[in-house]
Amino acid sequence: MKKKLTAIVLAVTLSMSTLAGCSSTGDGSGSSDALSPGSTEDSKAAGEEQSVESTVEKVKLSALAVKHPLTKDVNEMQWMTNLEEAHGVDIEWQQVSSDWDQKKNAMFASGDIPDILISAAGDADFVQFNGLFEDMGPLIEQYAPNIQEMFEAYPDIKYMCTDMNGKIYTLPRIDGTYEDCKNIGTMFINKTWLDNLNLDVPANWDELQKVLIAFKEQDANLNGDPNDEIPMDFNGIGNDYSPVLLLGGLGIALTNGYSSGFFAEEGQVKCWYVDERFRTLLVYLQSLWNQGLINEETFTADYSQFQSTARGEGTTAAVGFTWGWDKTDRFGTELADQYVPVMPLKGDVNLPDEKLYYVCVDCFCGKNVISMSAACENKEAAMKFIDGFYDYDVSLELMYGGMNEVDNCIKKNEDGSYDVLPPTDPSIDPSSWQWTNTFVNNGGFWVRKDVDVTKPVPDETLAEKALYNPYQEKIPADSIYKQDLMKYTENDQNAMAMTETNLKNIWDQQVSQWIVGTDDIEAGWDAYVKSIENAGLQQVLDIRQNAYDIYSANTGK
Amino acid sequence: MKKSFHLSNFLFKILLGFICIFSFVAVVYPLYFVVIASLSSATMVNQGKVILWIREFGTYGYEKILEDKRVWLGYRNTIFYSLVGTMINLAVTMPLAYTLSRKEFRMRRPLMALFVFTMYFSGGIIPSYLLMQKLHLVNSVWAMMLPCALSVYNVIIARSFVEALPPDLYEAAQLDGCSHFKYFIKVVLPLSKAIISVLFLYYVVGHWNDFFSALMYINKDELKPLQIILRDILISNQAFAKGAGIGSGMMGGSYAQDYADQIKFAVIIVSTLPILCIYPFIQKYFEKGVMIGAVKG
Amino acid sequence: MKLKGTGIKNRKKEWRRDWQLWVMALPGLIWVIIFCYTPMYGIQLAFKDYDFSKGLTGGDWAGLQYFKQYFISPLFGTTMKNTFVIALTSIVVGFPMPVILALAINQLKKGLPRKVLQTVVYMPYFISTVVVVAMINILCSPTNGIITALLRNLYVIGENTNILGSPKTFVPLYVISGVWQSCGWNSIIYLAALSSADLELYDAAKVDGANRWQMIRYVDLPTLAPTIIILLIMSMGSILSVGFEKTFLMQNTLNLGVSEVIQTYVYKIGIMSNQISFSTAVGLFNNVINFTCLIAVNQIAKKKADISLM
Repeated sequence: MKKKLTAIVLAVTLSMSTLAGCSSTGDGSGSSDALSPGSTEDSKAAGEEQSVESTVEKVKLSALAVKHPLTKDVNEMQWMTNLEEAHGVDIEWQQVSSDWDQKKNAMFASGDIPDILISAAGDADFVQFNGLFEDMGPLIEQYAPNIQEMFEAYPDIKYMCTDMNGKIYTLPRIDGTYEDCKNIGTMFINKTWLDNLNLDVPANWDELQKVLIAFKEQDANLNGDPNDEIPMDFNGIGNDYSPVLLLGGLGIALTNGYSSGFFAEEGQVKCWYVDERFRTLLVYLQSLWNQGLINEETFTADYSQFQSTARGEGTTAAVGFTWGWDKTDRFGTELADQYVPVMPLKGDVNLPDEKLYYVCVDCFCGKNVISMSAACENKEAAMKFIDGFYDYDVSLELMYGGMNEVDNCIKKNEDGSYDVLPPTDPSIDPSSWQWTNTFVNNGGFWVRKDVDVTKPVPDETLAEKALYNPYQEKIPADSIYKQDLMKYTENDQNAMAMTETNLKNIWDQQVSQWIVGTDDIEAGWDAYVKSIENAGLQQVLDIRQNAYDIYSANTGK
Repeated sequence: MKKSFHLSNFLFKILLGFICIFSFVAVVYPLYFVVIASLSSATMVNQGKVILWIREFGTYGYEKILEDKRVWLGYRNTIFYSLVGTMINLAVTMPLAYTLSRKEFRMRRPLMALFVFTMYFSGGIIPSYLLMQKLHLVNSVWAMMLPCALSVYNVIIARSFVEALPPDLYEAAQLDGCSHFKYFIKVVLPLSKAIISVLFLYYVVGHWNDFFSALMYINKDELKPLQIILRDILISNQAFAKGAGIGSGMMGGSYAQDYADQIKFAVIIVSTLPILCIYPFIQKYFEKGVMIGAVKG
Repeated sequence: MKLKGTGIKNRKKEWRRDWQLWVMALPGLIWVIIFCYTPMYGIQLAFKDYDFSKGLTGGDWAGLQYFKQYFISPLFGTTMKNTFVIALTSIVVGFPMPVILALAINQLKKGLPRKVLQTVVYMPYFISTVVVVAMINILCSPTNGIITALLRNLYVIGENTNILGSPKTFVPLYVISGVWQSCGWNSIIYLAALSSADLELYDAAKVDGANRWQMIRYVDLPTLAPTIIILLIMSMGSILSVGFEKTFLMQNTLNLGVSEVIQTYVYKIGIMSNQISFSTAVGLFNNVINFTCLIAVNQIAKKKADISLM
């Protein structure tokens, strides 16, 4: 009897709950409905009422922040709460830390998005979901003094954020202190090992090979075992920290976005994957591999393993030569001092000095950080709030954490300088602490160039990277190809997406197979280039060349 | 005859022993690895130095997870979704399986086809999301329990089971003037303990592991289940692989990498321990002889 | 007990008999209509140019254009072949194992070994894919992986083979790790079915002098037969379904030739530009093939064993 009752009750409940769900407004879904713009007549009227009373009552806005998994709940960030209060807004936050791309389509296609989006939309979205996002251009003119100032100081970045039709759908992040830094991946060599073996820092590829052989055969780290050294290590070819950075030693100038496979030379967009100089690099790498000078795991290790390898064991280093963002990131604090940056290596000893380049990538800015919904009901308030992110102090908070007593991440001194405070939780390292307390690179900000910030751990990164400036300044203007400033139509983007995925599949496989094998690269080269051409390379080059020419014409570069 | 009988039985025992021991070791070692890895330093684990013993003991992973109050919130939510959701599941599945098992029901085959078709064809994420929006279920607890109220796969196995019950039982019941409701509740359910246990387990685990529903339909932190929260932690190291950790102003770069790695294995233990405790209770329904007394009684 | 004739009297009788069945099926029916069939209109996206400004159903008719786009792409053949190979191998290897395991466990006498084995064997199912792949990377690493060392010592693989990077070892690694993860879990249903075997059959077989092999052949297997066949039919409907996440994580440039499957390919295109129509078309194509295979196998099972899904 009891079972029967339960079963029936449950069956009925189920049928009813579905229907009940349709009309429920009591639980959470109800309130978010009231905030999502334009969903019902009632909420629209309520919104208008509120904007009239905005001087007295707070304006309600909704926002979505795509943040790093480490970052804590936005509602717990005191600096954000302070910012909201200062602008008289009350924001309901939606926070996403993982798998955003799976959810993004559904949310955008439904047409129902929050007022402010942080790190949520990309170039392709602005083109495909035409009408979903607000053109912030006019709003910036009226309500955003900080952003105006920023665009005046960096016209190139304003161009980057403007689409083909002159509309501004997105805002950038800028770290002025890194403005002169154009080096994304530094080459490191273990100086301690060199000293132990009485060797000099190599200056070209041949010398590098000799040094690597010495690392392999001798006991460079002085722990009694001559076989545990890994001469060269990297994590596959397609990322920013691979041997491709050696191409500067053959006269190829790589600039922004080069890891997708394209570069410019004398005004022409080319693909380095099919360039003969890349072939030279491949032959070199193949020979290194066959001599056992490259880590066996380089193509199969995942990122965790890759990073762990470089940290060696205690003070005994494991890797001799590699590429990375900076020393402490790549090797950890214990081993960082053993490494020094290496200046660009000539691949061809006959290469004239003025053609010895190094990769030149703008590290100080990023785009597609902030967008606004076209259906936002109170655009003035939203724009002013967004402008708040670009304020002198608030930008620092977005980078380092809150400047107040609750957050305690950064302190402003009387002389106008700033001190970044060490983590209040001793078990966390400064970097994790930074990512926990604020958006860092997921947020929109403008850290001024002249800001004076002291960090808990002295930072040699800028100095390290500045060493490469001479090699970057040599690059002629017609070889600079800033891919993030290019603009494409929806059809072009779709065509590029399809074709480049196919191209990437072919060259990824072929390149790694050549390196780890013993096939004759010279003999197989033509067939390989043909297969790339058959997969549609020319179509992609044409699209890119077109965008490049438009860019040159528009900016006079 | 007797000799070959004993010989073949002996061979049988050897093979049986081999299968069982092999399965045991093959399964236990990696599980053991997960436990010791969760208590060792991540660098040691990634360099392959953790094989049989813990290296550089540390409970950092567990501390970080258990400290994080989102994890406890996630636990609470997931337990709720799993239990209530499974009750709903069983209430919908068993009666449906019964209906579909009745051979004399004319609509049986078309109905079954209707359900099976949906296992292979669906409208996609976007229309489903739009539907949930229209029903005002987005950001509500029902979003976690209604869209997955039925698994056709489970309906099929339940139906097979009910079909396999001896037909004499039904005939006897009919003679007694039993209606479908009565027969279902008084005869079928008690005999289906094994399959109900299986369904219970499958559905509970399905809910426990489900992060897709939460990903699509839940934005509020108070409603997020454990899997979503843990997934954030689990894939944070991939976020760095793509270069999220690189950029201007970074202090000591991918140290945060370390955090993700340390926690990776502890996450497994924390997220599955509760579920692992359920199975032993259900095991007893899988013993032989559940059918005793059915035909006679 | 079929009712002959279609007279109104007979219909009324049928209804009086069957209305309870309808009530019992009602919740499921409502659910499937609301949550499965209502969104089904999304399929038409495969045949239209998705245009945001015109809404989900407003795009221009594109016919089979997106299907063609997939068919002529250079990776069509590779992705189809890879997906098929991985899925089929998974079924061929992964289907019998749970049955064998269930039969083995069932043969153990009630007691601690049986309980322990039964409990331990389904645990891997709970380890999430991300961690499983991380473990594979560590345990099978060419330099210090313990499994690599083991296999080299047993001469299963050569001294210099990198199991993580070789195209030859990708499918075995994928399938075996998949079996490891789900074998125990899948054996649960078979154990449940075995538990409902008629004890009288065992007694009768013993009296007839059957040894243990024969017991399995004449009692256990027939008891399991309906379950096995139904589950086999259903798994044939996954002939072109390869999980995205695990493949994506296990992929690297060295094994790309065999590890690029339909789902990862569509994902990579989608990162650069979300082509909703294209991915819907490919998904639909995938589903059509799966479904056709299911129906075909179902028909065969119907003819041979009189067991059918519907």
